[in-house]
Amino acid sequence: MADVKLTIAGRPYDLHCEDGQESQLLQLAAVVDEKAREMPGGTEVRQLLFAALMLADDAQDAKGKIEKSEPQSDSLRAAVALAESREATARDELRAAVTREQAALKELEAVLQAGPAAAPSTKPAHDRALLQIADRIEALAAKVEQLP
Amino acid sequence: MELDLDESSLAIGRIERALSRIEKALADRANRPESAGAAPAADQSALKAEVAAVIGELDRLIAEADRG
Repeated sequence: MADVKLTIAGRPYDLHCEDGQESQLLQLAAVVDEKAREMPGGTEVRQLLFAALMLADDAQDAKGKIEKSEPQSDSLRAAVALAESREATARDELRAAVTREQAALKELEAVLQAGPAAAPSTKPAHDRALLQIADRIEALAAKVEQLP
Repeated sequence: MELDLDESSLAIGRIERALSRIEKALADRANRPESAGAAPAADQSALKAEVAAVIGELDRLIAEADRG
């Protein structure tokens, strides 16, 4: 335990507190002493009474402010959660769009690679067949024309 | 833009013209009553054989072209 000497409203007090809490106790005593000195001229009891009332008023104000700010905090938290959710959805959509685009690009590359190679392999065969058909039909036409 | 007439277009043109020639020759024969049935049987069957051969050849070529 630690010994602490306090002076409030001009009167010294000897108090004990747990080790390490001395400075906090001195700070609290200074607050009470400051409030007590705001009512000069009264008796020590009256000074302490007014100090106690003013501190109670401060405590009530602080409590009211906390209660008032809580709903705002709740709505802020909700807004942050909504924004995070939307951001996650947008990121997923973007990732899906990128995947789709990459797949389409690969498909296009495959078509471009296969396209030029496939066409020449079939076209000459068709051309050859058509030319042979033309030869045979022309020969047949000549025979039909030569019939008596 | 390519404006060349490719080999297949030229071949199709030749085929169309040859078919027109056959059509015309057959129509001319049909309009000659004295000679319509006068062609010797040997010629008739030779012509039929030739037509069958050409049709068979066309089928083979078309199938070959389809296979690429």
